[in-house]
Amino acid sequence: MTRQITLSKAVNEALAEEMRRDPTVFIIGEDVAEAGTPFKVLAGLVEEFGTDRVIDTPISEPGFVGMAVGAAMTGARPVVDLMFGDFLYLVMDQLCNQAAKTHYMSGGKLTVPMVLRTNLGATRRSAAQHSQSLHALVAHIPGLKVALPSSAYEAKGLMKTAIRDDNPVVIFEDKLMYQDKAEVPEEEYLIPFGEACIKREGRDITLIATSSMVQVALAAAETLAAEGISAEVIDPRTIVPLDEATLISSVRKTSRAIVIDEGHRNYGITGEIASRLTEKAFYHLDAPVLRMGAMDVPVPFSPALEDLTVPTPGTVAEAARRLCRGEAMDAA
Amino acid sequence: MPLDVIMPALGMAQDTGHLVAWKKKPGDRVAAGDVLFEVETDKSVMEVEAQGEGWLVDVAAEEGSDVPVGRVIARIADSPGESGAAEAQASAPAPDAGAEAPAPAPDTPALPEGRAVIMPVLGMAQDAGLLVAWSVEPGARVEAGDTLFEVETDKSVMEVPAEAAGYLAATLAAAGEEVPTGEVIAILTETAPEAPVTRTRAEGAAPAPATPPAKAEEPAPATPPARAEERARPVSPPAPAPETGGRLLASPKLRRLAHEEGLDLALLRQAGVPEPWHVRDLERLRALAAEAATAPAAAPAPATAGLRLVATLSEDSLAGTLAWAAERADLAPEAVLAGLAGAALGLPATVAVETLHARSLWHVPSRRLTAVTAAGEDATPSLVLRDLTASRLTEIAAGPEPAPVLTLTRGPAGLTLTLEAAPGALAPLAAARLLDGLAGRLEDPLRHLF
Repeated sequence: MTRQITLSKAVNEALAEEMRRDPTVFIIGEDVAEAGTPFKVLAGLVEEFGTDRVIDTPISEPGFVGMAVGAAMTGARPVVDLMFGDFLYLVMDQLCNQAAKTHYMSGGKLTVPMVLRTNLGATRRSAAQHSQSLHALVAHIPGLKVALPSSAYEAKGLMKTAIRDDNPVVIFEDKLMYQDKAEVPEEEYLIPFGEACIKREGRDITLIATSSMVQVALAAAETLAAEGISAEVIDPRTIVPLDEATLISSVRKTSRAIVIDEGHRNYGITGEIASRLTEKAFYHLDAPVLRMGAMDVPVPFSPALEDLTVPTPGTVAEAARRLCRGEAMDAA
Repeated sequence: MPLDVIMPALGMAQDTGHLVAWKKKPGDRVAAGDVLFEVETDKSVMEVEAQGEGWLVDVAAEEGSDVPVGRVIARIADSPGESGAAEAQASAPAPDAGAEAPAPAPDTPALPEGRAVIMPVLGMAQDAGLLVAWSVEPGARVEAGDTLFEVETDKSVMEVPAEAAGYLAATLAAAGEEVPTGEVIAILTETAPEAPVTRTRAEGAAPAPATPPAKAEEPAPATPPARAEERARPVSPPAPAPETGGRLLASPKLRRLAHEEGLDLALLRQAGVPEPWHVRDLERLRALAAEAATAPAAAPAPATAGLRLVATLSEDSLAGTLAWAAERADLAPEAVLAGLAGAALGLPATVAVETLHARSLWHVPSRRLTAVTAAGEDATPSLVLRDLTASRLTEIAAGPEPAPVLTLTRGPAGLTLTLEAAPGALAPLAAARLLDGLAGRLEDPLRHLF
């Protein structure tokens, strides 16, 4: 049985179910308890699990992430709430030097089964310091897993897998999608890491998209279908680990690919994935592999400008058209 | 040979150059690299150097004037007294190069009137660019700033944008052709052309950027014969695109498929299919290959061309080997050579050993050099070893003979062993083994034992 629930509700359910199942799971972060976070995702949890397991902190990201790392090393399974993905910069040492490396540097004696729950996504008019999509920063660090749910269905399944994973996992939800609904099973289900999902099958071009860009790619695919271009849309779901095999097998079929991600285009996720495709599917490519990401500028505050900085169904469709025509490219 | 001195395009979007100052006077002797004049661009003042040596004549632009890019403003001639009719044009008003419609050569379709697009100077010392590809189809519309074509300099491939909006009404060079900088390679018109003109440079119909009156009035008797030859551009039917040795641009997938099917991508270039090519061009390629296969007299190589392989040996290996054999077993040098060569070819063998003055035939039944016996004069050799080390010959390419021939010659770098065989007499690998086998044995006789 499935029902339509919002992404926010799906995350809430995942956390509640895991906290019921495993008493060592707890939540820590700013405004997580009574406020349920500014996005109201955690509403109701402190009522059920109490303030010992849903812990409000002062504004002290390095502090409470450090606490969570320590708690994880000593037997707990913390879910740390980082209110905005932009605050990653504040916790890089705790996350990338401590959490990511402890298992390796302790010779396997210590594990850090911590989940860092945060968000990404622009066009919310939150300006440059609250609109960044920084998953590339953590994907680059060995020792961290990175999940990018693209709908309520993914959000619940990936969160449960993350909590049960003994490694530190960073999950980025798209803050624009909290009220978006999707079919979510009532029964328990988990989505394994390293397994991509083909959201739409196609023959002419592969669109690989993450997070909310999956919806953008699907909309572009609709437009293209009306023009006779059959686009395959793939959601990698986790970028670390990355399901390369599914992506490459798709590109071998279509011989063209565009990678779409909301991080900045330069030196980001799209470059990594495009590179792997070029490396491993080179002799099957009939066109260059394109990257589409957010413009390489600080996210503008002006709504008109902000909306121009991210890929849209229109720009994705246009890029796909030009690739299929075999034109020399300069996709923005 | 007289050289045209043109106003170069020193910037990407530059239409005219402001001639600040001449650094040489008419009649001055100039050497390649001498600064001839200075041009002011919107960024700085740049020096333009002479591309050859000679005397500066026919100076046709004044200091302080704005000269359209591509205009011939002087010549470097073989003697100080030479002069073309361009001098008479020096005071003519300078029409906008973009607005000029070049006079059509006879027997070719007239070129459309429009804005001339030239091969730009993209590097400091660049005098030609390789046109890699047109980025727009002939007849298509471009906006200002759209990439019009790609040029390969010695550093990289650069995209050249259209300087103004218009329709690509004529292309005068094909992908893969090298075009001197300043030469007109396309014409953009304001209205869509009915039939866009597509030419290759090989057809020689590209007009010089200088104004037509200057060309038409050039009196033939006054010009030196060398210049008349230079000006003459034969108008021939469209020739296949020249083999520039430049890269063929095709997608990886098309390359693989073409390779798997044994198809030659160059056929697409010869047919003028615009690059880069993709999988959708595969059908055309298959069709072209089928045509080429059935074309009569399509012999790719003359039947008389045989196999020729060359190996080099260290200087004294031969002498050492023969001395070793003489010392060990009192063997004649010819017998030793026959034995080693025969073993390299495959036993048993009959080997003829020739020098400049003598010929001997030998039976080689086994590896044991002492088993080599003299053969009768009428024996048919399976291999000829020609020892020309006593002669002054350093290299030989005599063509195939009835039997494979190994020739030893002595050159400045040591001994050379050349193997020549008729086509089909020896498979390439067998030939390589034979040559390597003998060369190795000559260098180190111990190899003969294995």
